[in-house]
Amino acid sequence: MAQLFTPGADAIYRLVLLTGVACLAGVPIVAAGIVRSDYVTGVGIAPQQPVPFSHKHHSGELGIDCRYCHTTVEKEATAGLPPTHTCMTCHSQVWSGSDMLKPVRDSYASGEPLQWRRLNKLPSYVYYNHSVHVTKGIGCSTCHGEVTAMQMTYRANAFEMGFCLDCHRNPEKYVRTPDQVWNMTWSPPPNQATLGPQLVAQNHIRGGQRLMECGICHR
Amino acid sequence: MAGASLIPPGETLAGIGRAVTAVPIRHPLNRRWWIAFAGAMALLAVFAVALFWLLFEGVGVWGNNNAVVWALDIASYDWWIGAACGSLLVSATLLLLGAEWRGAINRVAETVALLCTCAAGLYPIIHLGRPWYFYWNLPYPNTFSLWPQFRSALVWDAVDIVSFLVVCVSLWYVGLLPDLAALRDRAFTEAMRQREARALTRGLAMMRARTYGLLASGWRGSAAHWQLWLQGYRTIALLGVMLVVCVQTGASVMFAGSVMPGWHDTILPVTFLVNAVFSGVGLTGAIVVLIRAVYGLDGLVTERHLGLIARLLLGLGCASLYCYATEFFSTALHGDPYERGVLARRVTGEHAAAFWTVLVCLLLPAQVFWSTRARRAPLAVAGVGILVAVGAYADHVMVLLVTLGQNFLPAAHEPFRETVWGIATFAGSVGLFLVLLLLFLRYLPAVSITETRRLALAAGARTGRETASDRPEPDPEAMEPGTPLWGISARFATEAELAAAAQAVASLTAARNGGDVHLDGHGPVPMPRVTRALGLEGRTIRPYALGGALLGGLGFYGMCVYASAYHYVFLIGGRPRFSWPSFVVPSFAFAMMSGVVAIHLALLVLNRLPRLNHPAFNIPGFLRASEDRFFLSVQAQGEGFEVERIERRLAGLPAGAGRPLEIRRIPR
Repeated sequence: MAQLFTPGADAIYRLVLLTGVACLAGVPIVAAGIVRSDYVTGVGIAPQQPVPFSHKHHSGELGIDCRYCHTTVEKEATAGLPPTHTCMTCHSQVWSGSDMLKPVRDSYASGEPLQWRRLNKLPSYVYYNHSVHVTKGIGCSTCHGEVTAMQMTYRANAFEMGFCLDCHRNPEKYVRTPDQVWNMTWSPPPNQATLGPQLVAQNHIRGGQRLMECGICHR
Repeated sequence: MAGASLIPPGETLAGIGRAVTAVPIRHPLNRRWWIAFAGAMALLAVFAVALFWLLFEGVGVWGNNNAVVWALDIASYDWWIGAACGSLLVSATLLLLGAEWRGAINRVAETVALLCTCAAGLYPIIHLGRPWYFYWNLPYPNTFSLWPQFRSALVWDAVDIVSFLVVCVSLWYVGLLPDLAALRDRAFTEAMRQREARALTRGLAMMRARTYGLLASGWRGSAAHWQLWLQGYRTIALLGVMLVVCVQTGASVMFAGSVMPGWHDTILPVTFLVNAVFSGVGLTGAIVVLIRAVYGLDGLVTERHLGLIARLLLGLGCASLYCYATEFFSTALHGDPYERGVLARRVTGEHAAAFWTVLVCLLLPAQVFWSTRARRAPLAVAGVGILVAVGAYADHVMVLLVTLGQNFLPAAHEPFRETVWGIATFAGSVGLFLVLLLLFLRYLPAVSITETRRLALAAGARTGRETASDRPEPDPEAMEPGTPLWGISARFATEAELAAAAQAVASLTAARNGGDVHLDGHGPVPMPRVTRALGLEGRTIRPYALGGALLGGLGFYGMCVYASAYHYVFLIGGRPRFSWPSFVVPSFAFAMMSGVVAIHLALLVLNRLPRLNHPAFNIPGFLRASEDRFFLSVQAQGEGFEVERIERRLAGLPAGAGRPLEIRRIPR
């Protein structure tokens, strides 16, 4: 009797089977990798802005406080984006003829705000409040990274739910003393293990189960 | 049951194979099949439209509202999975009990189980508000840093259905494997006939043979394969039975997890299981009768088979009646007022039609089988089977709607109304089932060839006489001097002769040159005597199954503990973080699935499969190894292989006690 298949068919058949099994394990892993990649999350990518504003220069080198521009960060849900007026407090005097700043002057003259491209976005069903985080001892850099080192501003962390929950599960690892909140190069001090729980108790932060409830962020 | 026989007198092994494989190979009744297929496709088109509208508009199109969150969708799901569980349980139980007559219905039962699971598996996905996020039900590495809530019975269901699908496919496919090989060989014979006749369809015929060949994965009926196959098949059946109990009782616990009245009677897990098996047997019985009538398989599905199905239906009908009566009496006598209210609304309320359908279709018709005449009537078996299936659907509707329809909040004043889209979705899922069933009937053997042959051999069927066509002319070019030798083959008419010859050659070669030969037997049925003669009976697949199940189950349990008790701290309903009993159910289901996967791997590795191309296929007339001939292969493995000596020994055996019909040298 003749063979129905050539000897090579075995190799192909087994290769297909093994490829199928490998895909079963491999495709989810690759997909998980892509979803977490900077390409998808936009972490570390600085988009073109109407004016090439440098946080490194203004905040890092010149030492302007965060709150000079983001005025409502301690009082309201949003940190606040400065109006053109704020820029012009200095730039009506400094670099007043610079070509680079022409869009700022135009905006000031016309009353039309500058159209910045937003970096940090949360879905509409997430209720985030800056003031409560800042006043309870969570510093800017925990979420926004070392902004004072950014020539052009980029997204430092992908604001996925896992990122938020990491801190909501263990706030004592991230909480700071009030004077450290604005420190953009903060890293946990050696005594964070004892200081953290102290600050958590002092600031009435109820970690674990309370901060893990859905309704804390999704109302 | 005496009198009627399961196998008609004069049936041969080859005849059984031809009767069954004729349906997929030559396919009689082409026109009727196409008409039925067109009808089923039309229903499937209804499904497509219903699904499109559902995705476009949302689950509101089914009429589901704030009180009745589960309606026809979950009733349909429960019904489909119930029928699947029932069919699987029947087939697996008969296999485990060694009921020799199961061959006529096990294939249909396993297929019904598989197709019902396919239809059922869609519902949990499409009834989600956003079906494209269905994978959120599964534990996968996600950026939310969330886990499925293993303390909820709803998640058990996601694990159950995935496990059930895997077990179902496995039982069906492993059982089908030798039959696929038989089909491959028949299709190959047909393809070669067409090639010689230079028929126009010869390319198609060869493609069909190759397709069956791929599906059969190089099964060549080796004694070693049969031994592990039998073990693997039975072990999958055992895992399947345990999974069925897990799935059905889990489904009832899902209801009991709520605070709604009418869902907490302690007999409910038993009722669910009984009704599931009942509907599964009903559906299987109806389809068996249909296939028997349409394809004229009266010889293989006899009146006695119908009688056995009827007895099963009668027994299950009584069990179902008992469950209902118990629930009724315990609620009426000592249920709380809300439970009694549900009972009253079931009988007289808005959806009372469901209750009366249950009574008329599910509980009463099976009682007709107290009569011997009814048990023998195919029409009665089919009719009662269909009625039972209808009644089981009404039961799911009743259990869901009557309880959910009475909400205790004034806001939920809108009553539930079945909508045309809810019904269309269910009708469409029936269409899906029918399309797949018709494709199965068209392309695969509807009756298990292997099981029927084993039964026939036990009943003393003949393996068919040696005819002139059995002796192909020796091909002069096949074994030219200098062609490398693979081994010697010998052909036999019975397993006993093969076993005797294997014994003789084994003792001969063991005495002379120990490990230089490799013996194997090939045949159309499992060959325990040959296995013993070859010294293979000690091999077992069960440790792999047990190891796989334990590994999978413990791994899943560990994941549940890690997720719920440690990583995903979350308060639901005041349940403790370490809710160990609720982790047992999904872990158990997953263990069954892991055991089955381990069996597949063990079958492939221990049997050295898949082997699409194998020197054994070079044996002249080997196509009949899947029909009615038994072959011994003596494979040369070293220098000490003495061809003439083995040939002399075989030829010298007494006729009827090991002398082969023919001895051949086989090239590599």
